[in-house]
Amino acid sequence: MSRAARKLILPGILVGLLVAVVLLAPVLPLADVRMMDVPGRFSGPSAEHWLGQDEFGRDVLARLIWGGRASLFIAVGSALAAAVLGTTLGLLGGYFRGVVELVTVRASEVILCLPPLLLALLVVTLLGAGTGPLILALTLLYTPNYARVVYAATLQVRSLDFVTAQRAMGAHPLAILTRTILPNVLPPLLVQMSLVVASAMVIESGLSFLGLGVVPPTPSWGLMIRAARGAMEVAPMLLVWPSLALAGTILSFNLLCDRLQSVLDPRQITAGGALWLHRPARKAAAAPQPAAPDAPLLRIRDLAIAVEGPRHGLDLVRRADVTVLPGQTVALVGESGSGKTLTSLALMGLLPDRLAVTGGEALYTTREGTTVDLAQLDDEGFRRLRSTEISMVFQDAAAALNPVLRIGDQLAETLRVAGTPEAGIPARVVDLLRQVGIPDPERRCRAYPHELSGGQRQRAMIALAVANSPRLLLADEPTTALDPTIQAQILQLFLQLKRDTPGMGLVFVTHDLAVVAEIADRVVVMYAGEVVEQGPVAEVFARPRHPYTAALIASVPEGGAERLVAIPGSVPPPHAMPPGCRFAPRCDFARPLCEAAAPVASAPAEGRSTRCIRWKEVT
Amino acid sequence: MLRYIAYRSLIALFLVWLVVSLVFLLLHLIPGDPAELLLSQGNIAADPQAVAALREKMGLNAPLWQQYIEHVTGVLTGDLGASFRDRAPVMEQILLRLPRTLEVILAAAFLAALFGVPLGTYAAIRADGKIDAFVSLLSSVALSTPVFVVGSVVILIFAQQLQWLPAGGFVPFSEDPVQHLKLLILPAGAVGLSVWAVITRMTRASVLEVLQRDYVRTARAKGLPRGPILRRHVVRNALIPVLTVLGLEMGTLIGGTVLVEFVFNWPGLSGYLVAAVDARDYPEVVGIVMVISVLFVFLNLLVDVVNALLDPRISLGAS
Repeated sequence: MSRAARKLILPGILVGLLVAVVLLAPVLPLADVRMMDVPGRFSGPSAEHWLGQDEFGRDVLARLIWGGRASLFIAVGSALAAAVLGTTLGLLGGYFRGVVELVTVRASEVILCLPPLLLALLVVTLLGAGTGPLILALTLLYTPNYARVVYAATLQVRSLDFVTAQRAMGAHPLAILTRTILPNVLPPLLVQMSLVVASAMVIESGLSFLGLGVVPPTPSWGLMIRAARGAMEVAPMLLVWPSLALAGTILSFNLLCDRLQSVLDPRQITAGGALWLHRPARKAAAAPQPAAPDAPLLRIRDLAIAVEGPRHGLDLVRRADVTVLPGQTVALVGESGSGKTLTSLALMGLLPDRLAVTGGEALYTTREGTTVDLAQLDDEGFRRLRSTEISMVFQDAAAALNPVLRIGDQLAETLRVAGTPEAGIPARVVDLLRQVGIPDPERRCRAYPHELSGGQRQRAMIALAVANSPRLLLADEPTTALDPTIQAQILQLFLQLKRDTPGMGLVFVTHDLAVVAEIADRVVVMYAGEVVEQGPVAEVFARPRHPYTAALIASVPEGGAERLVAIPGSVPPPHAMPPGCRFAPRCDFARPLCEAAAPVASAPAEGRSTRCIRWKEVT
Repeated sequence: MLRYIAYRSLIALFLVWLVVSLVFLLLHLIPGDPAELLLSQGNIAADPQAVAALREKMGLNAPLWQQYIEHVTGVLTGDLGASFRDRAPVMEQILLRLPRTLEVILAAAFLAALFGVPLGTYAAIRADGKIDAFVSLLSSVALSTPVFVVGSVVILIFAQQLQWLPAGGFVPFSEDPVQHLKLLILPAGAVGLSVWAVITRMTRASVLEVLQRDYVRTARAKGLPRGPILRRHVVRNALIPVLTVLGLEMGTLIGGTVLVEFVFNWPGLSGYLVAAVDARDYPEVVGIVMVISVLFVFLNLLVDVVNALLDPRISLGAS
């Protein structure tokens, strides 16, 4: 049995049992619900009366079952009637749109302007209490719910290709509606149905409780609760039984609705929530070591990033080696899925949940001249480095800025992290915005992110990242989401930042080789989670020593004259990595040896490395 | 912002007009003559003379459009007519009782938010933990238990068995503030329970979603400690959909208050309404339904405005 069907077993059995009991009420060996027995009033459970007797000595169990029959009859009856009416309105409105929509769906929605219980009371005032008026009132009440749901579903189905095709072939609208659209809107209808039965029961029992619904002597749960309140001191259980029956029934229908919904619309929500909120601190955090005087700003060696948990061992990044000197700009390049963004996120301790650094080291030299291994830090350790030591510019500034806080407030908050004196913050915020080239910063700092243009948002994002003068700035494709002219301006801004802060290291993640040539000193080429080649930009571009680098360079359109050479194939998914060289399946130079074992790094020249065994033949 | 409030107020006025018209329509759309319906008892037909007299009294002999105009102008001028039963002006009774009903509604919404938002947030932060499972179970039960059952059961437990709080009644605040608040706790709690459940669930789902957003990652990248991240970035954004749901719950809240006032003998609009429906006193019922519906529309307006204060993007979209 499928997982989905299993989820429906429990609520299915509960609802089925309830329906069976109330349907079988006439044939069950129950006491007469109207049989009074005044001497036996308020007696407790006995062999004859399993749940005892009420204030007139009537059998509680029988009244409970017959009361459920009345409640369910009214609730299911009105839910069905409303379903027929609402579905018709919704189908017509959704299919024909225009005026038809106005007089069907929109007109029925007017009912939603009234609180439900009041509308029911109004109908009861006019028609008097009783089963008939109750069903009419509840039908009226729930018709718009169905109309809305069916209307929305119809709109969706209507635009599907096969419906359009049927319309084009001249099928009669009625035929399309009943044969094609109706079966497709059934699932949301089913969910709505169980929901309506539950809430119709709430309203029905409420009205009966007020004495305005089911008329005695017909038993009903609402009436039983009403009567039991008077006898609370003598027989509290008289209140408990119908309360339990009512709440239990509604709970069963709600559960059915919940489960149906999750089966029909399985939206995956990350289990466990955000892990960084409760990941325990690491115990064996190494004490910071004094760094050697000539230590680089960052030295990553053999870094590995993998999926945690049951699929452990699925490595997304491995054998990553990168070194960044103070003032140096290192570009990380590669196709999507090469692991360049994950590598930079790992340096900030911001890897997505379920991913973790599983090996290697990333030694960072702090302002105080101590060495910290970023591969060993816990969240609190990272927090102390973030923004003041290492900072990051994210790709999509529109998503990365908080939509409900003013730009100035988001900057001020960042400045406070570094302990900037409160009095100096407003001036510093304006300064920062001016520095990143936002015009009229005194006014712009009061703007919300959505009030800025795409380029200005990215400038604000950069201002956030450099607010506390970090020593290492990571930029994750900061120009990708922007127009070409804005891209050039943002790139200019980075070049200017480099000039203004000569000691700052910059790791620039991109897939745009033209950008690399313009901004970077060194280039690190990543493929399928591995660093395949690195070296000074000019040398690598002039003479690539790895077939992948060569292919990347060849794929750049030059002057519009040359044909774009795309690299055939795509990056293999992490669970299907080739055993040897990961690029071998797409490589023109591949030999059987390449597929046998992962190639080790070679150094074709001073300061360069490649992970290709045939590097001499590449160029 | 002001433009947005003006715009929302216009929509609210339009909705009020819709409600007023709907009540009028309902009266004339239901098959049969209202006067005859009101006078007939079960299968016994009404006395034709009495029906004619009532038709005259209700103004049913005038043309429909004239009745409609009188109906609307009556509402606009605050004249909801006189009760059939004792000829007393309906508006006067409503104005006396409305503040008491409003008090229960607001207290219930306040209690629901006070306990719902922190619990929902905590459940999301510790998602799939023990407390999360417990809160989820509790909210399912709370959502499935009709408010008058909750009311009756809390009376049984807290008033009758434990004797901590009075079972019901009303004392004006000016006479005895402490007793007034004691009497308010149980009804407000009973009405608020299902709203609490909705708020808790919605907060949990919303916080879980916001935690995955990029701007939360940015907040972490800025080096903020988790307290400010949760307060300024997570909860504030997560509250926006919660507030929208709270607006949708107003109908439940109002309906629940009607029932709970009855359960606790709280002399708000409910007792008046139930008596009016029972006596089928048409001007009274129409008057109360109208006032509560207008209240419903304006509580929703209030929610919209607070929502716009929380999320600056909303007011931009409207103007």
